[in-house]
Amino acid sequence: MQQLLNGLFVGSIYALFAIGFTLVFGILDRLNLAHPSVFAASAFIGIELVEVAGLPWWAALPAVAVVGGVLGLVVERVAFRPLKGRADAHFAGLISSIALGGMIIALLQWRYGPDTRRFPAGTFPDGQLELLGARFTILQAAILVISVVLMVALAWLVARSRLGRAMRAVAENPTAARVLGVDVDRVTATTFAISAALGAVAGALFAMNVNSAQLGMGSAIELKGLAVIIVGGMGSLPGALVGGLLLGVAEVLAVQYIGSSWRDLVAFALLFGLLILRPQGIFGSRRLREV
Amino acid sequence: MFTDSTLLFVALSGIFAFSFYAVLVAGQLSLGQAGFAALAAYTSAVLAPDPAEAGDAVTLAVALGTGVVVGAVAAVLLGLPTMRLRGVFLAIATLGFAEAVRILLVNAEWTGGAQGMSVPKIVTPGVAWVLLAVVAYLFWRQGPTRYGRALAAIREDELAARATGIDVGAHRLAAFVTAGAVSGAYGALLAFTMRFIDPGLFDFASAIDGLVMAVVGGSTVWFGPVLGGAFLTLVPELQRAVGLEAGWIRPFLAGLLLLAVILFRPGGLASFFPAGRGTRPLSRVQASGARGDTAADDGPGAPGGSGADTNPAGANLAGTVQASVQPHRRRAQVGAGDVVARLAGVSKDYGGVHALRGVDLELRAGEIVGLIGPNGAGKTTCVNILSGLVPPSGGAVEVLGIDPVRTPVHRVAAAGVARTFQHAKLFGRLSVLDNVLAGAHLVTRGTFLRRLLWLPSARWDERAAVVHATACLERVGIADKAGLAAGELSYGDQRRVEIARALAADPALLILDEPAAGMNRVEAAALGDLITSLASDGLTILLIEHDVGLVMRTCDRITVLDFGAVIASGDPAHVRDHPDVVTAYLGTEAD
Amino acid sequence: MRRTAPLSLAMIALLGLSACGSGDTGAGGSLQGEGSGADCTIPGPVPVGAALSLTGAAGSYGESQRNGLELAAAHLNEQGGVTYELTVEDDQTDERQGITLFEQFTDDGVSAIIGPTLSTTAFQAQPIAQDAGVPVVAISNTADGITEQGEYIHRVSLTEGQVIPQTVAAVTESEDLENVVVMYSDDDAFTESGYEVFAQALEDEGVEVAETLTFSVADTDFRPLLTEAAKAEPDAVIVSALIEAAIPLVTQAREIGLDVPIVGGNGFNNPQLMTDAGEAAEGVVVGAAWNSAATQNELNTDFLAAYEAEYGKAPDQFAAQAYTGLMTIDAAVRAECSGEPEAIKDGLGTIDGLDTVLGSLTINDARDAEHEAVVQVVTDGEFVALD
Repeated sequence: MQQLLNGLFVGSIYALFAIGFTLVFGILDRLNLAHPSVFAASAFIGIELVEVAGLPWWAALPAVAVVGGVLGLVVERVAFRPLKGRADAHFAGLISSIALGGMIIALLQWRYGPDTRRFPAGTFPDGQLELLGARFTILQAAILVISVVLMVALAWLVARSRLGRAMRAVAENPTAARVLGVDVDRVTATTFAISAALGAVAGALFAMNVNSAQLGMGSAIELKGLAVIIVGGMGSLPGALVGGLLLGVAEVLAVQYIGSSWRDLVAFALLFGLLILRPQGIFGSRRLREV
Repeated sequence: MFTDSTLLFVALSGIFAFSFYAVLVAGQLSLGQAGFAALAAYTSAVLAPDPAEAGDAVTLAVALGTGVVVGAVAAVLLGLPTMRLRGVFLAIATLGFAEAVRILLVNAEWTGGAQGMSVPKIVTPGVAWVLLAVVAYLFWRQGPTRYGRALAAIREDELAARATGIDVGAHRLAAFVTAGAVSGAYGALLAFTMRFIDPGLFDFASAIDGLVMAVVGGSTVWFGPVLGGAFLTLVPELQRAVGLEAGWIRPFLAGLLLLAVILFRPGGLASFFPAGRGTRPLSRVQASGARGDTAADDGPGAPGGSGADTNPAGANLAGTVQASVQPHRRRAQVGAGDVVARLAGVSKDYGGVHALRGVDLELRAGEIVGLIGPNGAGKTTCVNILSGLVPPSGGAVEVLGIDPVRTPVHRVAAAGVARTFQHAKLFGRLSVLDNVLAGAHLVTRGTFLRRLLWLPSARWDERAAVVHATACLERVGIADKAGLAAGELSYGDQRRVEIARALAADPALLILDEPAAGMNRVEAAALGDLITSLASDGLTILLIEHDVGLVMRTCDRITVLDFGAVIASGDPAHVRDHPDVVTAYLGTEAD
Repeated sequence: MRRTAPLSLAMIALLGLSACGSGDTGAGGSLQGEGSGADCTIPGPVPVGAALSLTGAAGSYGESQRNGLELAAAHLNEQGGVTYELTVEDDQTDERQGITLFEQFTDDGVSAIIGPTLSTTAFQAQPIAQDAGVPVVAISNTADGITEQGEYIHRVSLTEGQVIPQTVAAVTESEDLENVVVMYSDDDAFTESGYEVFAQALEDEGVEVAETLTFSVADTDFRPLLTEAAKAEPDAVIVSALIEAAIPLVTQAREIGLDVPIVGGNGFNNPQLMTDAGEAAEGVVVGAAWNSAATQNELNTDFLAAYEAEYGKAPDQFAAQAYTGLMTIDAAVRAECSGEPEAIKDGLGTIDGLDTVLGSLTINDARDAEHEAVVQVVTDGEFVALD
């Protein structure tokens, strides 16, 4: 039970990170490899906000989301928009986002140095909860709740709102969306901003949860995030949540039953098996190709 | 100014970049190369004899051989289940493989785990550069061959490549195995360069480096990876030489430089160099030679071989095709009047939407059959079923003696079906000539291996293919644009290139899906003449068109579809007066 | 086509600058001095190269090391007689860069090389110096076999094999260990070799290992592993990990209620452990080569004060070892009063009982350092020697 909960908590972070990742992929068909850098940057910026500006956690998180959103706009503007209409936009976007991601990390090192940093003690109320004999912190529970709430809110946004309709139209066919009067550039930028804001919240929560923020924290979670969006189905929001939780639980079970050295193999075995058996992922639907 | 090891690493990086280039030219994104390299590095380090006893040359040869074989075998094993994955999916699957390899290496006993394994250093910059040259040579020679063009065609438009008869699965796997072999060679070299190998050498970051080098260098030009490898290796050297203070500023500038290259040089660094992009079109004189060959009115002695003078005067394209490439023609001949294709009671549902309902259609050799109907009537679905792209939900289909439902698309094409697409699907970044040469895939012989050895026969074959393709371009009247990139042409010209590409396969059945869309009246009239003349050469043509006038003028028979069902069928006069047709087309009949 | 100018200019600038950048090696002045020991005077500055990981995964160690080296160079140059021209270069935690740097240093004719930060890179890069006949002083490599690479390779860092057995023996005695859980990151050479030494030492002491758990260097969430560890109800948890993992591991262990002593290796020896893990760090036992409080001598106090003044924070073990590295080279130079590589190599062989911030340092016949290790326990937010 304890281990199951541990798995869910680990998984909720994976999910939160992957939701932003998969949003951009689902709507814009682009893999944004600067996402892990935004994840790391927001953790460091969040720490500074709490440490220097003295913000409490409930104010720091939205602030971090805003900072993340701005970073997302920068990423879109610098690394993706100039590539619009290029035949190799797919590969080029990977590279440009890697390049920009590297620059963000370099700037972080300039600003904060290479050392591990952390939120000051007591940023988030300490305290333990107990459920069915399993112990966990309030923060862990909060992360799970925040992940689910953000996911539901985002799913609602995409399914119901005007912006969501525009997003889906762009996902379906950008050219047609433009003809129908959708401002594709604005929708694209907004999508990036939302995606990055989610990644930023994930980064800050992650740093709080494990009491550590490192320059390399994004790349450590990057592969897991990729695995999650494949498992859940590229572009599927509920898929990212379920995929994240599933991966978290699977890893924990692997520790318990197979051995900790093989834990990381689980993500890739899961990923590989699913790609072979069901490439569209658990929740993904196969896209029809127009001939 | 640079040390030995810098030179060495430039060469090694170049080789690694080529392993990414090998799949990028076929439009695949694989990140598994680090895994192949890791397997190759460790295996070769274990299997190769001690250089102190066997000598450096023997050790190196054994190591390289082991590396190449291990890399290639691993690629086959990984490729068989994953080759049907596309784009990012393939990238992530292969990345998963590479990570799995790394975890295995960390946990295995014989690798020394994370603490690594000592390997003697025997690779010198000279050796590395020679090997880089060998690999570069391989890819340089691969470019303008039937194989190279097929890969490029797959990269540009997979569907169109399949429709021109290219076996996409086999070609993708071949490219993937090439990547495996090259990264295997890299792994073996790296092992015998570094003195000490550990799993960290083959991590995610190293795979990303390889990809960055290949893309930054230029993923469509053979020397791109060399430039990319040099770029990525030399940036830190240059920064050091400039005296930039070490620390955050260097990765920042490296990122900035990378971003600048990728944003402002779409073709990568290779685009700084005026390289031979694509196959050179025939010069004016040669082109007129091709024309003379086509017309064959010079009589005997026309270059092109014995077939030319047996054709009747005024012989046409079909004659040329036979003259230059007949030995490699694979499809069965069709006699005049035979049934070429037949749809019997074919229906197609798309999740509740009935695109086709019990459609019957028969095409006989030499006929021009028109297929018309309002938008959404199911015309394109019919064509997709005939060419094997889409399976019907019910009914029987037969094309040129085969069942396209159970036959892969490229085999349907090989049986003699060629088509154009409703929205022109050209290989946009290839030249017009290369588009048509790719179309001739089925009627030409592979030239890659012979080109590697500089056999003259390869050059003759390539020349014959160019003559053939030029003739096809002449036929549609666009030979003067042979050297342009297909994507830069006007819409009408793209249509014509697409027809030339279809003709290059020497088909028995030619399916034209709205060829006149985007053409003006004069062009459309010329198109009508072309279609008529093709039919008189014995070609069967299925014409889908909104320009009803064009259809009425050129077609022998016309079938009209509305809401997925045939509402009229017969000769143009009969169809024109059919009351249902008039209703369906009310007010749209232009002339 | 349209916007090539900025990039072309950038590239030209880079190429152009790089042309002027090279060729200013070999600063003037003879390296042969007069006098001996403290009175030794050498006319030219002695060129010393340091290849450190200033960026990338090991960036935090490299930074400390650079600080330590630069402080040492400043002190030595102030002291006079012999001056040092210290070149610190970044290998970006990339093995290839490490190799290139060593080659560049030997080509440029430095008299001694310090580094690299990581042991794996050491195995790849140090043979270059060995072949070129340039002495190397390793300041953070703890793996076995480093100095076996050749007669020019020395180190001032204690191996795990020197520190860990002492730690294990001390803890076993003070805590009556019978049954422990061992955790380590298995994809890092430093922590894995540390684990091996721990395992051996535990066996020698007759302590039973209930379970061995592994994780990845990049991991930060250890709750599932710690839950697993807690099930075994150990007397202590033995951890071989880097400081990045140590802090979250310690915090989370306390959080899930695992309150037994945690014993760490060199990786734990960092003032950050107390500042960042706070109360959770109480009772953590760390065996290490150096510690700010435990090594009580005048040199150490001065070093602590100078470091704080210069960089605004307390030094860690990496800074102290780096500082010692250059100081040891200085002692070797003064021994023969020559800045030539060969003389420095000979001089390093004579280091015996040298007073350093690490304590009394001897370089033995295997070219490894010998000095006293400290076993310390975190008490009231401070490292205190374990009795």
